[in-house]
Amino acid sequence: MNAKSIQIDRQKIVLVSIFAMIMVAMSFLSPRFLQVNNFMNIFLQLAPLIIIASAANLLMISGNFDLSIGSVLAFSAIMHAYLSKQGVPIELSIVLSCLMAIVWGVSNGVMVGFLNVNPVIATMGTMYAARGFAYLIARWDGGANISAGLPYDFNVFGRTNIFGFLPIILVFMVAIVLIFIFIENKTVLGRFSFAIGGNRTAAELSGIRVPLVLVALYAIVGLLAGLCGVIQVSRVGSGFPNIAEGMEFDVVVAIVLGGTSMLGGSGSTIGMILGASIVGVAANGLNLLNVPYFYQTLSKGILLLISVFADQAIRRRG
Amino acid sequence: MDPKNTDPLMSIKGLRKEFPGTLAINNVSFDIRRNTIHCLIGENGSGKSTMIKILTGAMERTGGEIFFEGMPFQPKTIKEAMARGITALYQELNVVDDLSVEENLTLGRENQRFGMILKHADLSSLIANLKSLDESIKLTDRVGDLSVAQRQVVEIAKAISTDCKMLIMDEPTASLSEEETKRMFKVIRKLKSKGITIIYISHKLSEVFEIGDDVSVLRDGEMIGSRVVAEIRNETSCNSESEACLELVKMMLGKVVLEEYVSSGNERTEKILEARNIGTKKLRDVSFELYKGEILGFYGLVGAGKTEVAQVLYGMDPYTGEILFKDKPMKIKNVAWALRAGITLIPEERRIAGIFGQLSIRANVPIMRMRKVMKNGVINRNKENQLADGFIKNMSLATTSREKVVGFLSGGNQQKVVIAKCLNRESDILLMDEPTRGIDVGAKQEIHDIIRELANKGKGVIVFSSELPEIMQLCDRIVLMYEGSVRTVLKNGGNLDSDRVMALVAGGEVTA
Repeated sequence: MNAKSIQIDRQKIVLVSIFAMIMVAMSFLSPRFLQVNNFMNIFLQLAPLIIIASAANLLMISGNFDLSIGSVLAFSAIMHAYLSKQGVPIELSIVLSCLMAIVWGVSNGVMVGFLNVNPVIATMGTMYAARGFAYLIARWDGGANISAGLPYDFNVFGRTNIFGFLPIILVFMVAIVLIFIFIENKTVLGRFSFAIGGNRTAAELSGIRVPLVLVALYAIVGLLAGLCGVIQVSRVGSGFPNIAEGMEFDVVVAIVLGGTSMLGGSGSTIGMILGASIVGVAANGLNLLNVPYFYQTLSKGILLLISVFADQAIRRRG
Repeated sequence: MDPKNTDPLMSIKGLRKEFPGTLAINNVSFDIRRNTIHCLIGENGSGKSTMIKILTGAMERTGGEIFFEGMPFQPKTIKEAMARGITALYQELNVVDDLSVEENLTLGRENQRFGMILKHADLSSLIANLKSLDESIKLTDRVGDLSVAQRQVVEIAKAISTDCKMLIMDEPTASLSEEETKRMFKVIRKLKSKGITIIYISHKLSEVFEIGDDVSVLRDGEMIGSRVVAEIRNETSCNSESEACLELVKMMLGKVVLEEYVSSGNERTEKILEARNIGTKKLRDVSFELYKGEILGFYGLVGAGKTEVAQVLYGMDPYTGEILFKDKPMKIKNVAWALRAGITLIPEERRIAGIFGQLSIRANVPIMRMRKVMKNGVINRNKENQLADGFIKNMSLATTSREKVVGFLSGGNQQKVVIAKCLNRESDILLMDEPTRGIDVGAKQEIHDIIRELANKGKGVIVFSSELPEIMQLCDRIVLMYEGSVRTVLKNGGNLDSDRVMALVAGGEVTA
């Protein structure tokens, strides 16, 4: 085995042990923790995060990131509610809302890839613009949110249970994760993402059309944010323009905790899932213990810092 | 005369600088006379930049002594060196584009308390300095609007305001036009008349004879010799500057040990590439031809334009003129066009532009033509393994496994990965920029064998190298570059010797 894979494995070991420690501690502290129902809840809450982070992880492997995730999610959610209320068939409305989310992603990709705008600035612009649009659409409908007057079958899609017990979003989550493990290992898109993040100059000189790859990555992130928005609004049954605020940072936390380098070039979907699970289980545990919300935020911050320092220490030794 | 004035301003004795694994400066001794312009020359890797860093306090030496004005000199920081009167003008200028000339001059010198500017520093001496160097610069001008040469003057004015005794200039004319260069020389002479001693680093040998008083030549971290410029001029037959330059080139390159050139024996019949009157910012009127099965060499001193030619052919630089592939004209707009036309570049800086250091050998090799390892639109691990194993075997790439991460391989093996990656593209024309720089002798020989084999298989190979032995051992024909243009094209073999090549790249006349 070579030095590199030892390094990654060591990091995974650190993650798994943190995860195990939280699990053990929680099962002692709360009798409700180790129950199937509770875990179903944890993953219901984590599902949108994991779905979007799958794509955002590959984007970060390519050395870029997206701050507009939460806003695009909210935009598609409210757009779906608006269109449905206007009488557009639900299926068509779902497709249209997701397509518009792709447009946001493509615009991010064009700015970053072709126009060389700094990703922070470009996606921050989209973050404000998409959020603004979400409020505007609610306004068109005549209020602060869209809750009344939705078709009676509006929430069928989000509340569908496969085999009668598996919520549709969990099915999506598993499917998307599998797809991204596949993309990461078996496709040109995956290989090129690693190449671009690892050495952009060499990628360009190797004939990789870097701007196109970036557009594709941003578009996929947009699509998945849109999909999650549509599912969420359908599950809740009413559209609020302020949902998923700051979600992009939760995504970054999960990805970085999972060992993907902020500079690009390395990382994995599996690592990201571990990172997201740690965040989710920790939050759930603190919830069960009735710890106030602000302590949860605090603990998320500390968790992130510890994992980053641990990562740096491993790298220095490795 | 005051005896103090005949002493050298700086005396360097047995200077050493070691880095882990390399000796950058080895036992260098020389004097810098008071109030002279002392040129420091040498090829890449000769130790010039390390030298500057030691003198300016950016780096500490590991051995030897330096005396400045008769006193020991061992600066630990740049500030310390400046306090003794030594400053440097780097190629990357230290001016702030968005501030005015006046603000730039006073930057870091404001009388301040708690971060508030109380009163601007006394400007009169700074302004006087600036005016004496270049009348045309106004204090209110925004620095970003000035020309490169004017910005340099602003920086010089700032540098000499703090009782500067010695100014180190690192290739100040590298990005200047001819007109600007002349004005810069005027500025440099004015500095000398103010009593400032100048260390002048340049790759242009003609400049040494234009403004230098003394010249020192470094090669591979060693001092080859210090000469008075006027003496070199007197020794060599007067008026012929190129002969004087040749003297310096010989010092810079040393004795060239040649291995015998073995002709590939390939007939030059099928022309696959022709460049006509290529021009860019750095190149003038470059024309040449490449034939199937041929190894064509580009040789010249640093800055002669070798890399620029490679960049034009690979679509990295806009150009004027015409390029023909197999007699068909084609404009190379970008890298993708070059690749489609059948050109692949094996770049000079393998770490920066060649390898994907975090990926394995297996993942690196197919990246320029993924189609070869795909099956039903998906990367096929078996095909990838076969491809990587094939290259590992053919190129005798020393590795324990194809899964080894490329960043951990030795320089020579990394270079083999870059070559494998490029060969996988299966282009007809291969450009190799410094194919063996910084790798050990054994690997070098192996890479030369690979290049010969490629030519025998009918590829056209162009080797750009600053190592004369490599060029003379490998190439069937040699294009000699001098200051951005083609001096001549020589056929290798027969009575071609290295002295003649050196004379030509030093700017000598082409004789039959």
